[in-house]
Amino acid sequence: MNLVTPVSGKLSVGVSDLKISSGGVEQIVTHALGSCLGVTVYDPVTKVGGMLHAMLPNSSVDSAKAEKNPYIFVDTGIPQLFRQAYAAGAKKERIVVKVAGGASTRGANDLFKIGKRNITMLKKLLWKNGISISAESVGGDMSRTMYLYLATGETTLLIHGKDVPL
Amino acid sequence: MALQVLVVDDSGVMRSMVTKAVKMCGLNIAEIHKAKNGIEALELMRREAIDLLLIDINMPLMNGEEVVTEMRKVVELADTAVVVISSEGSAARVHRLEVLDASFIKKPFNPSQLREILDSLIDDRDKVETVHDTADSSLSF
Repeated sequence: MNLVTPVSGKLSVGVSDLKISSGGVEQIVTHALGSCLGVTVYDPVTKVGGMLHAMLPNSSVDSAKAEKNPYIFVDTGIPQLFRQAYAAGAKKERIVVKVAGGASTRGANDLFKIGKRNITMLKKLLWKNGISISAESVGGDMSRTMYLYLATGETTLLIHGKDVPL
Repeated sequence: MALQVLVVDDSGVMRSMVTKAVKMCGLNIAEIHKAKNGIEALELMRREAIDLLLIDINMPLMNGEEVVTEMRKVVELADTAVVVISSEGSAARVHRLEVLDASFIKKPFNPSQLREILDSLIDDRDKVETVHDTADSSLSF
């Protein structure tokens, strides 16, 4: 459980990491999403919010690694994101989901279409669970930094040095 | 659930005919995507979560059978429902397609034949998904 007692204004989500806040924290941020996926959940009533930074689509490539850190993979990280948000007070029927990342980056990752496969895996999982995406900024070849503001649920992206709302 | 459908054929006329036939089948369709060869189809399926693929066999660059073979190697595409549409339906080919978990319909076909196949296929898939979801509670949230 990554529920955080308020200690500072900002929570940073690393690569293959998940953070949940149930209040007292101003924002959650994850930096430099390339082919990785950043996914935020937010309940506007309880103001519980969370963010996942997942690197790869499918845990079947290394289930031992997934057991050690489920946040590496979309298929193991996403259920954790939702379950931990519910445990902190979010309700499924109110939850707002936003997604960023899944870019095509140069090098080996692009050969395996990791970004696109991350997005496909996410959409299949959400579809199976009857949850829709409220907003997304995915694909392309840019790096994105994602912010979730917990007072309002507003999500913004920093792309090429410019702050844009999601 | 509304289905994302992909129609793949190198002939624009056939793409339109298959699209029209699918629309007449009464399925709950969210969107019908189209591709004119196997490469385009695979590329599109990596971007979009396609539920049902209707694909021709004889196409340039990559034939329909090769596309389905490639799909089955990728975890995310391994359970996509596939109907192969072709005028060439030898027993050997149909058997190879069965092994790939793909249904076959011979050209020319009428919409009711297609509907029959799609009904059984979508029903089957729904059952498979239900069993899968029940069995694998780790994916439910």
